[in-house]
Amino acid sequence: MLNSKQATELVSKSLHGRLSIDEQVAMEKHLQENEELRHFADLSKAIHNSVSDIGVQSRDGSASVGPGLSRDAKSRLQDSVIAALDGSASEIDPALARTFDVREEDTVSNPDRIVQPGDFRESRSRFTLLRQIGEGGLGRVWLARDEKLNRNVALKEMNETALQLPMAWQRFNREAEITGQLEHPNVVSLYQYGNESRSGEPYYAMRFVGKRTLADAIEEYHERRRTGACDAIVLHRLLTAFLDVCQGIAYAHSRGVIHRDLKPDNIALDSFGQVIVLDWGLAKITYESEIGIRLSGEADLTDAAIAQTMAGEVIGTPLYMAPEQAAGDLDAIDKQTDVYGLGAILFAILTGVAPHESSHINSGGDLNVRDILKAIAEEDSPRPRDYRDSVPLELEQICRKAMAFKKYARYESAVALANDVERWMVDQGSRQSQYENLRLDGRELRNNVQSAVRDLETNVRFMSKLPPIQELIMAEEPEEISVWRERLSTIFEGMLNAKSDFRSVIYSRVDGDQFTELVRVERHSTDHSTIRSIPRSRLRTGPISEFSSKVLAKNPDEVLTSLACSPLCGTPQPDEHRQLSLVAGVPVFDRTTEEVFGVVLIECDLNRVLHEQLNRRFTAKNVVIACDTFQVIAHSNDQEGIISENFGRPLMELLPQFGRAKEELQSKSEYIDEMDRLVYGARLWLVPKKHGIMFLLSQ
Amino acid sequence: MIKYQHGKTCKISHYRGFVKGNMVPFVASRYDWRRTDSYLITSKILTDSKSETVPAIDGAAQQDAPSVDPQQWVQQYGDYLFRYANARLRDANAAEEVVQDTFLNGIRYHEQYSGAGTERAWLLGILKRKIIDFVRKRNRQQRVGQYEDDHDPTNQLFDAKGNWNKTAIPWSVPPERPIESSELWQIVKDCLTHLPSGQADVFTLSVMEGMDSDEICDTLSITPSNLWVRMHRARLGLAKCVGSKWFSADEVSNDVE
Repeated sequence: MLNSKQATELVSKSLHGRLSIDEQVAMEKHLQENEELRHFADLSKAIHNSVSDIGVQSRDGSASVGPGLSRDAKSRLQDSVIAALDGSASEIDPALARTFDVREEDTVSNPDRIVQPGDFRESRSRFTLLRQIGEGGLGRVWLARDEKLNRNVALKEMNETALQLPMAWQRFNREAEITGQLEHPNVVSLYQYGNESRSGEPYYAMRFVGKRTLADAIEEYHERRRTGACDAIVLHRLLTAFLDVCQGIAYAHSRGVIHRDLKPDNIALDSFGQVIVLDWGLAKITYESEIGIRLSGEADLTDAAIAQTMAGEVIGTPLYMAPEQAAGDLDAIDKQTDVYGLGAILFAILTGVAPHESSHINSGGDLNVRDILKAIAEEDSPRPRDYRDSVPLELEQICRKAMAFKKYARYESAVALANDVERWMVDQGSRQSQYENLRLDGRELRNNVQSAVRDLETNVRFMSKLPPIQELIMAEEPEEISVWRERLSTIFEGMLNAKSDFRSVIYSRVDGDQFTELVRVERHSTDHSTIRSIPRSRLRTGPISEFSSKVLAKNPDEVLTSLACSPLCGTPQPDEHRQLSLVAGVPVFDRTTEEVFGVVLIECDLNRVLHEQLNRRFTAKNVVIACDTFQVIAHSNDQEGIISENFGRPLMELLPQFGRAKEELQSKSEYIDEMDRLVYGARLWLVPKKHGIMFLLSQ
Repeated sequence: MIKYQHGKTCKISHYRGFVKGNMVPFVASRYDWRRTDSYLITSKILTDSKSETVPAIDGAAQQDAPSVDPQQWVQQYGDYLFRYANARLRDANAAEEVVQDTFLNGIRYHEQYSGAGTERAWLLGILKRKIIDFVRKRNRQQRVGQYEDDHDPTNQLFDAKGNWNKTAIPWSVPPERPIESSELWQIVKDCLTHLPSGQADVFTLSVMEGMDSDEICDTLSITPSNLWVRMHRARLGLAKCVGSKWFSADEVSNDVE
């Protein structure tokens, strides 16, 4: 029996249009019995219809669904449209047209259109507020026009709530003072700080870069990457921006300032490659530093005082927060905390998600702040590859070092972190050329083995067409049979003499599920130069193998090729791997009856073929050849050459770096390691998309 | 050079293409709103020089290209687009911002306006994308900051066994008079602003905008089960809020009588 809570869920589901028939019956039963539920359902339906109707009305404009734009808003919009038309007309980047120039004549002729309620900066004839571009806990940021210098600026002022708190005034002052003392190309420049003449409210004007942040750029990059429309240059640009952020932070550290709230939303980007670190409102000052000494008494706020001005806010952003911040250990916060923040930004660049956002999403969005902070403070930092497995390995290692749980394990400085990232970027060129060699080696290896397979298939097809094959079908007299057997044996022997890789050639008759060998010529198992034709008395009979039954199902001249059963696909026998073979078979049809008569099989010594290939000189450190069951059938490395004892070992146990290539090669013919350029994989299909041999090379 | 109505100039070459063969320039008529006398003269000469036998590379030159007039947009469509956005975003500043972005994108990508529909419908199409982008961004930022999804009205409406907590049900005594649709919307609108925006957004996108669940999940990066939880909490929260306001409005109305 449903309780009322579950019944309301059914009502919701019903309005959402996803109720099953059984649930419909249960809901109707409950509706009859439960008056409150009926009222809830009626009310919810009325709300649903009302919202849905408004959706339609606002779409077709048939009814007024609220007030329209205010006069001021219309004026602002008109200005921005004109500014944008100016921007596009003068062939400036349209993105820049959003600076919304306001001409002097407009201000003079129509002052109403510029001045906002409470907009007193304009009256001091220096700054004209154009539009709000952001709002935080402490204040609002406006795009404003500096009328004296004829340039756009970002102007920050306190909001109504903050104006009521003396502590917030101090914090605002402190933020301005800190920002003003940091002069670096990657730190936002403060142009002017002052108080409005009439109200005395503080404001400061900063350089305006644009609305685009690193968060937008990261989101765009990963959206394009997901649709396959992204090239490596975009990542390169993001990492270049990241290096600039590191430089800006390193400079701040040298001045005794810890940013403490590093995240992509606090990094502004413009269209010309400028990268600016914003929002120093939560910065921590080391008081022995130059800035710490210079700060005015008014701006000398403790962390606890800052926290008081942020009721309901968390100091720093949880999803990018370092463990010591999440644990509330304010004394432990130092420049290593910013190194973690930089690592977290790198994490976002590499994966598209904030480090601690992933667990939040995985939980379906139901984690609360306390859970997230607890997880950050207690658990190891996340690994980029857990969220995007194509993250370059070296960059992941850099990111993990920057985000190490323990502070002492992190980079010593932002510059050290930047150096490692830069080194990775510089090495990309040489890594690419080395990888090209690896790819060439891998492709050549596959092509050579493929040639051997094609050769095997051509020969088995040729053997099946020899005249003695049909003559043996028709021969009835023993003498006649002996003659044709002898002739066929001679040809088979000639074949084995010519092809040193071939181990045996067999012609068998098949009756039902039983085979009888008619001719078998084979190479001696230890003395490869000895080739022998097996006497009639030693020829084998018995039930046909699965492979032979598949060959019999083929049409004339269709060849089936497979790795012969070995320890890889059956019960391992001692030393059986030495008999690893590639077998090709073709059905033989009775020319008279046109019925299938038997099979011709050629067995090739695969080890010999592979070892011939592996004895070549490779640029790769490791070359591995593996079968369908991901077990090694041949392995060589640049130090020891061919390592026979690794035969049969699971690939992942031996060389786990091939994990991603292994997954890709299950369905594809080639694996190219776009990110790390360390591994190349190719697959030779014996049966297309089903069975084959894998070739894996690593640097 | 073109001189615009508002006094700015630009190189004419920016707005013209060339007809194949004799390299005769033409000007796309969609820029009518910019032209001055000197521009009209140029335009006339160019029209005269067009040859019927010379095919144009740019089809737009031969067809009647649809014209857009951005200078009139604010007056003609500003209120309409603002109301549309405000109903969905429940925030006048945000609505103004997306309308502005819509106009700027309209100017930037004006050549994509094919003229197949009305100019208003074309701008509305841009606005819808801007609203979704805005909601996505807001959702992301709020996830970073506040985690409003903690808000769950079921704790107030039901006891531990899942039965109605009758003291908390505002609709247990239904109002006697039927409520007008417009009156209900005013209450619902107010209540939507009191819901956590994570819940209000999924409700609005689903019911008002008619987006399907997959699209919403994709937009907000949430799982289908989280979407469902948010929708249900939104319905409970709205019923609780609307029921309470409706009931009290009814009481006030009776008192007045």
